[in-house]
Amino acid sequence: MLIQNLKTAFSSILSAKLRSFLTMLGIIIGVAAVLLMLAVGEGVKFQVSGQISNLGSNVLTVTSGQVLNSSGNNQRSASFNPSSSLGASTLTEKDLESIKKINDINLVSPIMLVSSLITGGSNVSSTTNIIATTSSYGIIRNLKFANGSFFTEEDNLSGSNVAVIGSTAKKNLFGDKNPIDQEILIRNQPFKIIGLLEESETGTNLGPSFDDAIYIPLNSAVNLTQTKQIFRIIVQVSSANNIDQAKSQIESTLKTNHGGQKDFSVLTQKDLISAFSSILDTLTSFIVAIASISLIVGGIGIMNIMLVSVSERTREIGIRKTVGATFSNILEQFLIEAMVISLIGGFFGLILSVIGGLIIKKVVNITPVYSLRAILIAFSLSVIIGIIFGVAPAIKAARKRPIQALKAL
Amino acid sequence: MTEKTENLVINLRSIKKRYDDEAGVLNALRGIDLTVKKGDFLAIMGPSGSGKSTLMNIIGLLDRPSRGNYFLDGIDTSKLGDNQLSKLRRDKIGFIFQTFNLLPRLNILQNVELPMVYRGISLKKRKLKATKILKSLGLEDKIKSRTNRLSGGQIQRAAIARSLVNDPSLILADEPSGNLDSKTSDEVMKILVRLNKTGTTIVMVTHSSEIAAYASRSVRVKDGKIS
Repeated sequence: MLIQNLKTAFSSILSAKLRSFLTMLGIIIGVAAVLLMLAVGEGVKFQVSGQISNLGSNVLTVTSGQVLNSSGNNQRSASFNPSSSLGASTLTEKDLESIKKINDINLVSPIMLVSSLITGGSNVSSTTNIIATTSSYGIIRNLKFANGSFFTEEDNLSGSNVAVIGSTAKKNLFGDKNPIDQEILIRNQPFKIIGLLEESETGTNLGPSFDDAIYIPLNSAVNLTQTKQIFRIIVQVSSANNIDQAKSQIESTLKTNHGGQKDFSVLTQKDLISAFSSILDTLTSFIVAIASISLIVGGIGIMNIMLVSVSERTREIGIRKTVGATFSNILEQFLIEAMVISLIGGFFGLILSVIGGLIIKKVVNITPVYSLRAILIAFSLSVIIGIIFGVAPAIKAARKRPIQALKAL
Repeated sequence: MTEKTENLVINLRSIKKRYDDEAGVLNALRGIDLTVKKGDFLAIMGPSGSGKSTLMNIIGLLDRPSRGNYFLDGIDTSKLGDNQLSKLRRDKIGFIFQTFNLLPRLNILQNVELPMVYRGISLKKRKLKATKILKSLGLEDKIKSRTNRLSGGQIQRAAIARSLVNDPSLILADEPSGNLDSKTSDEVMKILVRLNKTGTTIVMVTHSSEIAAYASRSVRVKDGKIS
């Protein structure tokens, strides 16, 4: 009977193509919207996770403030509040020294951020991050150079005004010119560029960009700003296997330094990715819920058209019942028809969402990722919509009495 | 009741049908007793408003009597629910209508198969049987056509084929040639006579005595009673 009902459903849909298409339109748009939002969410997660992975799996980031609140050991239900890391830092020189002494720690590098416009060539950049750090930063981050090199520990100790420039910052300030030996002004102080970084693989404009950045020696920044703050410490652990161990050791050491207060965070790459993922999942769920409203509208459309269709086919129902169709036979027939309409709509919605994804990629430079899970969700939703909104018309059809139905035109 | 009850396809006892609506009360049938034996060809005659359509609907299990009993093949139909009536109708009764009542979106073969579909018979068996019956009625080269490509006579022949497909105990024909010209009408009636000769029980409702003459016996309905 199922195959028979499918055939009947297709024949019915094809016999009124324009009407069927208009019926499906709500579902098509709804599924496309839901899928596209899910795919964009996945795409953003993928790209930012890629950026974070570039940090290296044996790298720990220590920040001021409790940025990640995990309930117990379950990092998935963590809440991420980056703002707790802003402002005057709780990290100290002593913390830096204590961490260096821990076993399994290879390298340690403090980071200070400097706010300033940057002038270079004949351009000014207001978006470029200025990262002041020590020479080991380049090794810990495994920076790759297109030209030149990172500054040395001597450069740092002597506070020399040298800088390493990221690929995007270079493009914004110098275009295609070679930036090596060029001069840039940070707070009107000249710095000479001694290195140009390669573009990092995940070239996007999401999150803090490592490509739109200038790296200067920490001491030069201290001289420039007349302050010294350690906002972050990045740590290279001897091996990725020891990372959790190292993390707890750093945590207890710093807690001791801070008088028992955990006013800092030690984050593994996994922590960063899961924190970001959980925010993004919440955001995505919210957006998808809104997109789902259009699915409901689509369902209402199906219900309306099917009610009309049932009225028009009263005679057909009468004939079928006369030759032996029961209530459930007729119910099944019309329910399957509603489901086929929504499934076909779901399929076209999938195609539409792929087209939408291509447009988004061109315009916003995010590559949407279509996971199997998302596609299954979207299709299940359309089947459910078909059932819910097809039930009322199907019951109306199944209830018709043969004698009256046969009299219909 | 009588020794012949086992042989009765239709056994109607004191059938009454009463309609109650805003227009008032209508006693369509006021006590009908009627029996039809296996192999009978009965014509039920009467003017419009006589109650013959109501009687036919009850015989065809499309309606229930208000009072009285209807035994179809010995089965007491008053005890059956709507779904059971549908199934009984499917298995035991073949219908032929004045207005043909074939589904316009299906071709002839699919129309004829339809009662078998609701019986759950496999695709292969259905096609085989439907094709065979259509062939016996001279329609084998029309099986893929839809009704809009056929003449009235051909459509009615297809409807006859459909009525036979589940090997019913009874064929119920409501003015079978009402929409046909006299020549085609004669062809169709001759087919019914031929079917009856091979043992098929037929009950036909008509207002025309010429058509009623093809049957082996007839009864008249007037004012809700058999006269």
